[in-house]
Amino acid sequence: MKLNRLSKVAIVATAAAGLVAGALLPANAATRSTVVIVTSNALTGLNTSVDEMNLTINGDVAYLQGFGFYYYDNSPKLVKNTTFGNYKVISQNPFRVQYNVNPGKVWSDGTPITAVDLLLSHVVRSSSYSLGAGLGDPKSAEVKPGFNSLGYGDVYDTHHVYLPKLSADKMSLTIEYDQAIPDWEINAPGPSPVHALVHMAEGKKSLQNAAANLAAKAKFEKAFYAYDKKLMAAMGKVWSNDYNVKEVNAQTNPLLYVGNGAYILRSVVANGTITLVENPRHKTNPSGPKTNGIKTVQFRVIDNATAAAQALRNQEIDVYAGQPTADSVAQLRAIPTAKVIGGQSSFFEHIDLRVGKAAGSTTEYTGPFAGNSQKAKDLRTAFLLMYPRDEIVEKIFKPLNPGSVRMDSPIVFPKEPDYKAITSNSGVSKFTTGTPSSREAAALALVRKHSATDVKVNLLWGNPNNTRRADIMQLVRAAGKRAGFEVNAPGVQGWSSRLADSEWDAQHFAWGKTALDQKGNASLYCTVCSSNYLGNSNAKIDAAEKKLGAAPLSAKERLEQYTIIEKELYNDVVTLPIVQFPEVTGANAKLQNVKPGPLSPQIVWNYWEWRYTN
Amino acid sequence: MIAYVVRRLGALVMILFGSSFFVYNISAISTDPLEELRTSTAPNKEQLILNLTRELRLDLPAPIRYFIWLRGVLGVFVGRADFGQTRENQPVITEIVGALPITVRLVFVATIVAIILGIGLGITSALRQYSRFDYSMTFFAFLLYSLPIFWVAVLLKQFLAIDFNDFLISAQISLPSIIFASTIAGFFWAAIFSGTRKRVLLIFSGVFVVNSVFLSIISATKWFLNPTMGPIVILLAAIGIAFGITYLSVGLENKSAVKSGLFCAVVGSIMYFPAQILLDSNRPRVGLLLMFILLIGVALLGSVIFNRIDRGPIIRTNVISVVIIGLLIVIDKLMQSWRPYIESDDINFRPISTFGQSTAWLFEVPFWVRSLDIVLHMILPTIALTLISFAGYIRFSRGTLLEVLNQDYIRTARAKGLTERTVIMRHAFRNTMIPITTIMVTDIVSIVGGAIITEQVFGWYGMGTLFNKAIVSFDLNLLMGVILFLSTLAILANLIADLLYSVLDPRIRVGAGK
Repeated sequence: MKLNRLSKVAIVATAAAGLVAGALLPANAATRSTVVIVTSNALTGLNTSVDEMNLTINGDVAYLQGFGFYYYDNSPKLVKNTTFGNYKVISQNPFRVQYNVNPGKVWSDGTPITAVDLLLSHVVRSSSYSLGAGLGDPKSAEVKPGFNSLGYGDVYDTHHVYLPKLSADKMSLTIEYDQAIPDWEINAPGPSPVHALVHMAEGKKSLQNAAANLAAKAKFEKAFYAYDKKLMAAMGKVWSNDYNVKEVNAQTNPLLYVGNGAYILRSVVANGTITLVENPRHKTNPSGPKTNGIKTVQFRVIDNATAAAQALRNQEIDVYAGQPTADSVAQLRAIPTAKVIGGQSSFFEHIDLRVGKAAGSTTEYTGPFAGNSQKAKDLRTAFLLMYPRDEIVEKIFKPLNPGSVRMDSPIVFPKEPDYKAITSNSGVSKFTTGTPSSREAAALALVRKHSATDVKVNLLWGNPNNTRRADIMQLVRAAGKRAGFEVNAPGVQGWSSRLADSEWDAQHFAWGKTALDQKGNASLYCTVCSSNYLGNSNAKIDAAEKKLGAAPLSAKERLEQYTIIEKELYNDVVTLPIVQFPEVTGANAKLQNVKPGPLSPQIVWNYWEWRYTN
Repeated sequence: MIAYVVRRLGALVMILFGSSFFVYNISAISTDPLEELRTSTAPNKEQLILNLTRELRLDLPAPIRYFIWLRGVLGVFVGRADFGQTRENQPVITEIVGALPITVRLVFVATIVAIILGIGLGITSALRQYSRFDYSMTFFAFLLYSLPIFWVAVLLKQFLAIDFNDFLISAQISLPSIIFASTIAGFFWAAIFSGTRKRVLLIFSGVFVVNSVFLSIISATKWFLNPTMGPIVILLAAIGIAFGITYLSVGLENKSAVKSGLFCAVVGSIMYFPAQILLDSNRPRVGLLLMFILLIGVALLGSVIFNRIDRGPIIRTNVISVVIIGLLIVIDKLMQSWRPYIESDDINFRPISTFGQSTAWLFEVPFWVRSLDIVLHMILPTIALTLISFAGYIRFSRGTLLEVLNQDYIRTARAKGLTERTVIMRHAFRNTMIPITTIMVTDIVSIVGGAIITEQVFGWYGMGTLFNKAIVSFDLNLLMGVILFLSTLAILANLIADLLYSVLDPRIRVGAGK
């Protein structure tokens, strides 16, 4: 009897093992109506303008739930969203921009969207409003302002004048600036459901009727123009804290997720799956974004590349994008039911050389690259000539994304139309002519002119656990040795806090870009720029940077200024770009039009184009 | 005793203070929360850095920030402890309270399975010392012991999830697979019941044939598309269980025990029918409870009817049997939900998931489908954790049992003429459990802290993930909360293990000798 029982157990156990070699046929499911996207973080809040909630995933959810005046496509380029409304400069002097909301647009609770919904944008971006309404000084190092917003300190904050003006029909808003400012376009006000905010500030916990919504909106409008501290402070509290939700279910206050996007939150499991369903009130008229049979968008949390690849193979998820490694790319390519989409990120690797004492440093810089003597300049030139940029691209980045190319301009990306023009005029050619070995020989000759022994260079590059960059440093050390440099490049915990330290002669890290502004990466190099860790000061760069920040420029004028900056950078021999970070996305082969873009929201920016084929 | 406990608790406070100070400062020095902002090109970079500095009090040196944090924590003595907020502005304490049950769910089942399997195999291995079975168990124990969990996880996902789901499309097992599986099963059982060459061959071929026939039936009927047991299979299994448990506890020579065991098996299986009504009711949890109460009633009734002497151990035996029968009924209920489960939109014929704790259902589904979903999500991580942790139990219980078997009192027991079963189960096994109990306590704690990789690989949001997240996002308050919790738990578990040892083993006294 015992044998019998035990063998039964054995049979069940071995049956499981026997399943291993089962038939390997792809599933033939009906057309899906759900897109499941992997996120590495769980949702932490619904208001990305607050520091604690400023996470990629929160931004993705906010993007699906809300429409504004523009979005970034995958070029990346700014695209006007005419479905929501339109905007134009109505006067150059004084500089005024008018924003019109299309009539007939409604929030998901049915309340019409008007220009009043754009006013909150001013409250959370204007320091003067915060001070005027007694909500606190955003610049204070001690106390948070009433609206604990990330929007302060921007171009809008420094240049807007007066309060934005509503039109008589309340469908358009006019904003006035003290001068014609560059980047006025990306500083468009975003719509917020102010009526829901007013309700919550008054302690309401459920959706209200149409009349109450309109009354609340009117109340907000009045309070806004009256600098009503009481209501504004209460709203600020809600805005800064109450959106901080990790869970959405039947108990959650529905006022928190009133939106105007094509999708609206259905549920969020704490630290887990986020589910959005089609918003029935989302109007696609007059034309523009509409969804193609995708009824549900889900985000699921996986923080592990292998796990995500296996989940994609198991058809549990449809889209995965993450920091690629050689392994993860190979895993994604091996999945028969998925396709791999390569792309370039807005982050790029570069090598910087220190010239003098950087802002924030306590000690004077006295290393081999210090100053602008002939010797320092020659050594800097030699170092940049030696820097194995081609080898880094070939050996480290091409395996991740075959489309990776060496970057020769720190301001314009290789895919952009101006790239050729700027690289042929900037003088970068002195670091690109010849072969890597001829450049190394030239570098060695320059070093030997000044020093019989190898020159020691301290290079800062990142945390020791950053394996990709550690691999790059192997190449740099080897190339340095051939060219007369002894490169000391240890991994440093908490490296980023030491970017200004004079102890380091060179820095290899990546700059990230979050928006398309006129200055672009030009803002990295002026004398007083907060990102200038080089200790370099060049009057021509400062002048060009100022010009870029002063007024809107035509594409040609902009390119001129960029070229001036790059020329000076290469004259001073302080920096060289290397390569853009690659992006690798794995997607269900049946899901069409997944086009990851370099700027946020990278994956979901064109969700209305997604559709499944059979 | 009390003085000893007080002394140990005093040491606990000192250790916690020292280690938290050390960890806080090391973490604060080695990380830079501003990293992302420093390498950003945002136009309002300075304002953003100011915001974060204000948020995290980065203007103060780390030791001072530690004491600010400590002041909040010390509030525990005045009844309002403040473990601070995470970077995401959630109270640290809620984060931990939210993550803890998930880790416990994961670790608890895996640990129970590991203990039962590990001790069972370890004891079998000890009783067959230096046999082929013993050697292969030793080999497997060391093999499993040295496997990295992330790799085990990858294999499990590939074979038991992806390939199984692919297999479900046809649900037919190929002939080579049947032969392969049956051969392995044959070797396994032949090794356990080793003996003469003829006996080994007989067992091997017996298991091989039974297994092949069984798998062929499963394949031909596409059983996996519509799995079921039904009352007949449950009855057969119940009879087997009744015999097995009775054999291990009181022995088959006790006829009245066998009778009451069989009674429980038959009546328990008949309970299958009312149980269906109970489990299908609007309140399945209550139904589940009622079913188990009824089954335990059957166990008591059985011993009341059939046994006059030695009732205690028999009742215990019967209760174990009926609980297992109850579990079989529950498994059968879950099997009934299999079809609606795999046909649902969310599952779409791929039932075994590679990650996550459960499916976020788009539409309302019945209780049993939801339960099946949770069980299926637990399978892979539980197997992974079990595989790597039960090897230790095999080695430990084997060694301990061998040591106990060499004791004089075992020889005495055998000399008295006690049956081998009584000697092993009553005299040897119980004494083997003493040291095992104490390692179990500390083991559970180490798994709670050590499930970081398992949780991450399987996408479970428990303590391990929380710990990892705290490190990756430079979240000092969260990191300190988790460390404080885990180190308190570790120190307390050690204390409990010491005390437990003295309770279980009368030869040992804590705090004695002073």
